[in-house]
Amino acid sequence: MGQQEPLGEVIATNSRMLVAQSHLLNQPPPLGSLVKVATPQGHIYALVCFGETGGIDTGRKPVARSREEVENEEVYRQNPQLEMVLRTEFQALLVGEERGGHLRRQLPLQPPPLHYSVYPLSSEEVRRFTEGYGYFRLLLAVQGLPLPAPEVLAAHLRFAYEERGEDREWLEEAGRQAAELLKHDYEGLMEVLLAAAPAEER
Amino acid sequence: MEGRRRLGVIVRGSLREGLTARLEVDPESLRRGSFVVAEGGEMRYFSLISDLRLEASDPKFQGLPADGLPDYVRRSLDGIAIYATAELTPYLMLDKEVSLKDATGPRPVRTIPSHFSAVYEASDLDFLGVFGTEGGKYFRIGTPPDQNIPICLALDHFTQRSSGIFGQTGTGKSFLARILLAGIIQWGEVVNLVFDMHNEYAFEVQTEDKGFVKGLRDLFGSKVAVCALGEQFIRGRPADFNLLIGMEEVEPRDLELLAEEFNLTSTAPTVMDSLYRRYGQGWLSKLLSLETKEELEACSEETQSNYQAFDALWRKLSVLRGKDYLRPEVPYRAVEDILLALEKGQHIILEFGQYDDLLDYTLVANIFSRRIYQRWRERTEEFYRTKRNAPKHLLITLEEAHKFLSPAAAKQTIFGTIAREMRKYNVTLMVIDQRPSGIDDEVLSQLGTRVAARLADEADIEAVLTAMPRRMELAGIMAGLEDRQQVLLMGHGVPMPVVVSTRPYDAQFYKDLQAEKVGAEKFFEELYGRRPSSP
Repeated sequence: MGQQEPLGEVIATNSRMLVAQSHLLNQPPPLGSLVKVATPQGHIYALVCFGETGGIDTGRKPVARSREEVENEEVYRQNPQLEMVLRTEFQALLVGEERGGHLRRQLPLQPPPLHYSVYPLSSEEVRRFTEGYGYFRLLLAVQGLPLPAPEVLAAHLRFAYEERGEDREWLEEAGRQAAELLKHDYEGLMEVLLAAAPAEER
Repeated sequence: MEGRRRLGVIVRGSLREGLTARLEVDPESLRRGSFVVAEGGEMRYFSLISDLRLEASDPKFQGLPADGLPDYVRRSLDGIAIYATAELTPYLMLDKEVSLKDATGPRPVRTIPSHFSAVYEASDLDFLGVFGTEGGKYFRIGTPPDQNIPICLALDHFTQRSSGIFGQTGTGKSFLARILLAGIIQWGEVVNLVFDMHNEYAFEVQTEDKGFVKGLRDLFGSKVAVCALGEQFIRGRPADFNLLIGMEEVEPRDLELLAEEFNLTSTAPTVMDSLYRRYGQGWLSKLLSLETKEELEACSEETQSNYQAFDALWRKLSVLRGKDYLRPEVPYRAVEDILLALEKGQHIILEFGQYDDLLDYTLVANIFSRRIYQRWRERTEEFYRTKRNAPKHLLITLEEAHKFLSPAAAKQTIFGTIAREMRKYNVTLMVIDQRPSGIDDEVLSQLGTRVAARLADEADIEAVLTAMPRRMELAGIMAGLEDRQQVLLMGHGVPMPVVVSTRPYDAQFYKDLQAEKVGAEKFFEELYGRRPSSP
C-alpha cells in the first residue's frame, strides 16, 4: 500500500472525533469521505463531518479583499500573507479502528494522538472499510454535530458509492441499513435516501 | 422441510391475542384463514392467519407521495419503514423433537414461540400430521384453497357428537352433505337416517349447471334403502319401505310446533290438551272422525271446550285428512320393518316425494324420530345392563333444522333432546340449515363439529360460532369465504379450524370411493412406516 500524502494534522482529539488542520488552505477532504490516522497499534478511521476556513487569530475577523479585476485566486496571489493567517480545519467522527490486523467499525479504544497526520484512504481501503455498515449507527448516534447526522450519512453514501465504482448492490444494502436505523425518523431517513438515490433514478 | 416458503418472523405475541408475524413476502400472496407454521425453539405452532395488516414505523411514512419518489427510496423503505404483518392464531403445537410419526401428535397451544421465530407456509407433511391421512375413518373432504393436499375429517369424532352444516342458499350445503354421507356410509361404522325433504339424496338429481349427479342409492345400492312417505312411488319406482304414521302417535305438542303452518289460533293448545286428556292417544282420530255439527257440539261439550275454539281447531286440522301417510291405524310391521333395517345397519333415506311441504316434513320427522329415539334408548339401556348387542351409532340428517331447534321448539321436539343429550343413547344429529341464528343457543353450543359455508348475516355467523373459542378470528375467516364450495371446518372432527375447498361430487368422487380404501393406508404406511392411528 503506497503511502499517500497526508491531508492534515490532528489539532484536537477526543474519544468521539478529531479536529485536523488541513495542509491545503480551503481544501478540506470532502464531506462524508473517510480518513485515517496511523497509530502505534494500527489505524484509526474517521468520517469527515465538517470543514471550515477562518483566521488563525480568533480575535480578528477576516475582511473582504477583492477589488476590481482582483478576485478569487488573484486575491491570494496579491496577498501572500493570507496563507499564513488563514487556516482550514475539518472535523471527522471516529468510526473504526484497526488493531493487530483486525478491523472494527466501532469507537477506537483511545483517541488518535494529537499532531499525528491524517491521511486519505485509497479506493481499496474505502472498499474494505465499507464492507460492513456498523459505523452508520455511530454516526447517527452522535449529538451536537454542526450538521445534521442524516446529511452527513447521505454525503457518505454518495462518496462510498463513487469510490466503490458505482456499486449498486452496496448502495441498495446501505439504503436498507439506513432505513433500519432511521425508521422512526421520517425526515432524517427521507433526507438520506433522497440524497443518496442514484442520479438515473431521481 | 426444504422448499417451504418462509413468510416472516414473529415479532409480538400473547396467548390471549395470538401472534404477530412481520412479513417478508408480499401480503397479497397470503390469505386470511391460511394454515401456517411458526417454528419456535422447541415447538412448532400450527396457526391460522386471522388478519393481514399494513404498518409503518412512523405514521408519516403512510403519507408518502404515491408517485414521483425515486424507486431507490421505495425499495429501501419497503419491509423496514413500511411493512406488512400477519396476525396468527396458534391452535396446536408439536414438539420439534417428536416427529409426526409419534403417537402423541399435536397438542393444544399452551405457550408461545420466542421473538424472531420463523413462520412458514404449511407443508404437505404439516397438513397430513394435523388432519390425518385419507383412509379408514379419515375422510378427505377437500383441499386447502391454494394447495393440493387432502384435508381429512375424522369421521368417528364427527359423528360422535351432533354436527351442523351451515351456509346460505347456493353455497353447496346439500352437495357437501351428500359427500359427507357417502363418506360415512363408506366408512361403515355409523348408520344413517336422512330426512330428505327435497328428494335429492337418494337418486340422481340435476345440478345448477344442468349436469346430473348420482344419488346415494345409485352409489351404494342396497346398503341404502329408500323409504317413501305414504304409499307413493319415488321416481316411478316402488320404494323399499313405506312409512305410515298412526294418528295415535301424534301428540298435541307436535301440532303446536306447526301452529304457523296450520294457522292455529291461540286457543288451539287448550282444546288439544282437553281432547288429549279425554281421549288419550285416540284424540286426533276422534277429532278427525267428527263430521256433523252435532257431533262437533257433543264432543266439545264432552271435553268442556269452547265450541268456537273447538270448531276452529277441527277446521284447521282437517287438512290432515288428506294426508295419505297419516292413518287412524297402522299395522305394527310398517314401522317395525324400518326400525329393524336401521338396526341391522341399512341406511335409510326418507323421501317425502309429493309431500314436500314444511308441514309434512316437520310433523313426520319429529314423530318418526321420536319413535326411533325411543328404540335406541331402550337398546342402549339394555346394552348397559347386558353388555351385549351394542346398538349401532345412528346419525340423523335433518334439513331446515331451525324449524325443530328454534328456542321455542327445541324444548319440545325430540331433536332438541337428541342435541342436548349428545351421544348418551348413540344417536346424534347432522343438521343442515341456512339460518343458524334461528336455532337455540343451547343446541348450537352442543354441536361438536361445525361446517360453515358463506353466510351473509352477522347474526348467522355469530350463531355458528356459539361457544367456540376465538370467535372473533373465526368470524373474520368466515366473512372471507368464497361464495361456493368453500367452508370453514371447525370443532370436534378436526384438530384445528381449517378453510377447505370442498371436493367436487362427480365421476371422480364415485371412482375415489372405490379406490380410497386401498390406496390411502398404503400411502400412510409408505410415509410413516406404520398404520394410521388416532390423533
